[in-house]
Amino acid sequence: MSASLDGKPRNGRLESFTYDDGIVKLFVIATLIWGVVALFLGVTIAFQMADWHVNLGLPWTTFGRLRPLHTNAAIFAFCGNAIFAGIYYSHQRLLKARLFSDTLSKIHFWGWQLIIVSAALTLPFGITTGKEYAELEWPIDIAITLIWVVFAVNFFGTIIRRRERHIYVAIWFYIATILTVAVLHIVNSLEIPVTLTKSYSLYAGVQDALVQWWYGHNAVAFFLTTPFLGLMYYFVPKAANRPVYSYRLSIIHFWSLVFIYIWAGPHHLLYTTLPEWAQTLGMVFSVMLWMPSWGGMINGLMTLRGVWDKVRTEPSLRFMAAALTFYGMSTFEGPLLSIKSVNAIAHFTDWIPGHVHSGTIGWNYMLIAGILFFLVPKLWNTELYSKKLAHQQFWFVTIGLVLYIISMWVAGITQSMMWRAMDDAGNLIYPNFVETVIKITPMYWIRAIGGTLVLTSFIMMMYNFWKTIKNGKKEAPVVYEAYALDSSSIEHDASAHRKLEGWPMIFSVLSLIAILVGSAIEIIPSLMADKYVVKIDAIKPYTALELYGRDVYIKEGCYLCHSQTVRPMAHEAVRYGKVSNAAEFVYDHPFQWGSKRTGPDLARVGGKYPNMWHYKHFFDPREVTAGSLMPQYRWLFDSKIDYKTLPKKLEVMRKLGVPYSQEEIDNSVADARAQAKMIAEDLAQSGVPMKIAEMDVVALIAYIQRIGVDYGSIPEEE
Amino acid sequence: MSSKDQEQDKLLVHEDEKHLLLDHSYDNIQELNHPLPNWWNTIFIVSTVYAIGYFVYYQYMGGPSLREEFKKDFTEVAAVRDHFKKQNEIFNPDHYQAIVADDGLNKGKAVYELNCMPCHMERGAGDVGPNLTDDHWIVAKGTPDTVYQVVFNGSEENGMPAWGQLIPKDEVYQAVAYVMSLKNTFVKGKEPQGEKIEE
Ligand code: HEC
Ligand code: HEC
Repeated sequence: MSASLDGKPRNGRLESFTYDDGIVKLFVIATLIWGVVALFLGVTIAFQMADWHVNLGLPWTTFGRLRPLHTNAAIFAFCGNAIFAGIYYSHQRLLKARLFSDTLSKIHFWGWQLIIVSAALTLPFGITTGKEYAELEWPIDIAITLIWVVFAVNFFGTIIRRRERHIYVAIWFYIATILTVAVLHIVNSLEIPVTLTKSYSLYAGVQDALVQWWYGHNAVAFFLTTPFLGLMYYFVPKAANRPVYSYRLSIIHFWSLVFIYIWAGPHHLLYTTLPEWAQTLGMVFSVMLWMPSWGGMINGLMTLRGVWDKVRTEPSLRFMAAALTFYGMSTFEGPLLSIKSVNAIAHFTDWIPGHVHSGTIGWNYMLIAGILFFLVPKLWNTELYSKKLAHQQFWFVTIGLVLYIISMWVAGITQSMMWRAMDDAGNLIYPNFVETVIKITPMYWIRAIGGTLVLTSFIMMMYNFWKTIKNGKKEAPVVYEAYALDSSSIEHDASAHRKLEGWPMIFSVLSLIAILVGSAIEIIPSLMADKYVVKIDAIKPYTALELYGRDVYIKEGCYLCHSQTVRPMAHEAVRYGKVSNAAEFVYDHPFQWGSKRTGPDLARVGGKYPNMWHYKHFFDPREVTAGSLMPQYRWLFDSKIDYKTLPKKLEVMRKLGVPYSQEEIDNSVADARAQAKMIAEDLAQSGVPMKIAEMDVVALIAYIQRIGVDYGSIPEEE
Repeated sequence: MSSKDQEQDKLLVHEDEKHLLLDHSYDNIQELNHPLPNWWNTIFIVSTVYAIGYFVYYQYMGGPSLREEFKKDFTEVAAVRDHFKKQNEIFNPDHYQAIVADDGLNKGKAVYELNCMPCHMERGAGDVGPNLTDDHWIVAKGTPDTVYQVVFNGSEENGMPAWGQLIPKDEVYQAVAYVMSLKNTFVKGKEPQGEKIEE
């Protein structure tokens, strides 16, 4: 069977070809499977916040280990597979060319699934770099790079073989995505391996924070936004059977979005020790980003003009319209949260996870659902099993999401107000951090229930598609015909941008330049660390045991509930102590400032409590702090310190510029044993058996007792 | 599938936008060329001007940095705290009597259970902090004023927080009242520490 595509007179050869939809089907199925896994993990950790028992007392089910698994599964497995499905489907059609190589497509698919499986087999076991959204260890980082290159070759190879001269706006967004994600991933993942499963970030402290949040923010931008905008530009007009609202707007909002987005990373680091000019850039670029983001929303929603009746009846359009609306909401909230005075209230609170989920559920899940309702019946050559079920699903996810967002607004603002409340005497009204936690626990329940509704909605969709696919009919692949690219499609009097659309490689280079400008201006100064951070002599490297304890801290994901940075605000100085200084973190590979204060800041915790307090607290937090939601860490009491890795760890740190002497490296094991013995002797006074000296918990205590001590010992300069 | 593709109903283009339809077509997707909405243009320009103005003011025209603003705020707070501390670190026996008279013991028990129990355990048996029920004392001397001193100012290098700056003044007095009631009740717990105080 053949289908002719358009009727223009051509002088090129007429060619026939088919599209590879098999690979799209595979990615669709993977999207559904990983989607339910990601949501299930999300619901699990939501219940863990509401009731600590849900941590189950096992290392691999505890919050600090499952949270990275949830985020990685949601972003890279669920959204990732959806992106690949949507791009591979639309890319071929927009270019009238089969994907460059079926083999590369298969390598791409299976390679990506293997990466996801290896994430699932490492993160729960505490194998992590400790950098948010980039937790996967170095061998997996390399695999990601290779598979991304495969994807890029397949993608650009298809462009080279295209039969359509100009590239459509969807493809502009795909190009920006592929290039930027490659740059972000490689720069942020530079690390030196210690073992097969452990590495230290090349960067330390402020520098690491800057690179990490340049990456983290742009993972949102170029993994969860630009590819989805590209998909939106293909699937919304297709599903609505309407022309896109404004080509001019596409151009302006594409270029302004990719140029501006990359600068906004430092809005994750407001009030930290990052130099203030960089913080200010992060803030003002976020504000400027508002309209470029809304350009996408306008182009999507206005394309639906005249078909709103179909939005009510067609599941695909309904989900797409909701996705665009939530996209508009969260891209308004984002700039708002970047304004310093608003950020002062919202940062470190539950408002931020609320914001994130209005993006990931409201925009990504909804758009993916919209695309799948369009695609699945087409790919499997049948009708959707049940529209009614799809509409019910829509209400489940919408209500679940609204519960999530509102409960997190309330929780975030309530807690933030309690943190800063002071009486006339300048005393905190809620000096006990845990009071502020207990207060918002009901909100954690509401969030968990909202999440459960979202998970349920997804299962409804899976069932709907299962029934649809079972009804699928096999049909021989359609053979299409089109002319090879020839001179007839060159538009000599076209506008400059139109011409550019005919030169995809130049287009790619320009978009690469657009994202490199902001990256270079913000990051390069930090690499000249000598001037960037003024060192303080009193701040010394960690001892061998403390370094080991720090790795336990990273392994357990403590940074997911605790920050380590005191912001320059009076109430924080009263609650925690001295405001942080950039020099404190120069040996921190990776930095551990965290992004959420589910528990209190730990930057000044060293020496705050006796060793025994921590000993009891790690065994059962509620023994010392009634009402705490922190998990128990009982396995740390009988897992042995792996002393033999210490020399290698110190050596790698020395390579990274931490001034350990050869003697310290050679004696690291003996030094660590001696320090562990001292702590154990102190604990023994309260009746703890001496064999605790061999256990991980002692190393963790050593680290905790060291945090902030060097800087704290310096007299306050006036 | 192809039959469906061909059947596809004609693209829906409204009468008032026909003149805006471009002749681009990608997989049957076409584009209109509406001008940018005015409000969109305006907000984009205003936010850009605001961004430049904000950056220039705070970076080049002497706008206060976050650290400077903090120093100003904190100096004020620190002064208030200092004043309060000076006023209250001296034990006031009359106030103490008034607090005791006002159900001080029960209120003190509540304060104790929220703040002190993690370290001194139930009924003062001691664990991280010393046993408060024996006749031995490390810092205090077993009298309300000396107990008040430790509770208010802490013994921070040894792990006892300075509660005077953490909880309201009256709660410190209430806690003292409760601690006094534990004295010489000899609850089994941590071994006595410090010096024996005879009365
Ligand atoms: C699920 C969130 C969560 C995780 C994960 C978590 N904590 Fe906590 N943590 C809390 C909360 C809430 C508190 C406050 C209540 C309390 O004292 O237990 C707290 C308190 C603390 C305190 C006392 C701080 C102070 O100043 O009073 C320390 C120390 C601490 N946690 C260390 C850790 C370490 C080390 C880890 C990792 C092994 C960890 N926490 C993991 C939530 C968490
Ligand atoms: C973080 C643990 C901790 C908490 C919480 C704590 N204490 Fe203490 N407390 C200690 C330690 C440790 C000492 C011993 C100090 C020393 O040796 O200098 C101590 C000493 C004392 C003493 C002096 C005992 C003596 O022998 O001289 C009193 C009285 C006391 N605490 C009362 C309180 C009260 C009242 C509270 C609650 C408002 C409280 N403590 C909360 C750890 C704690």
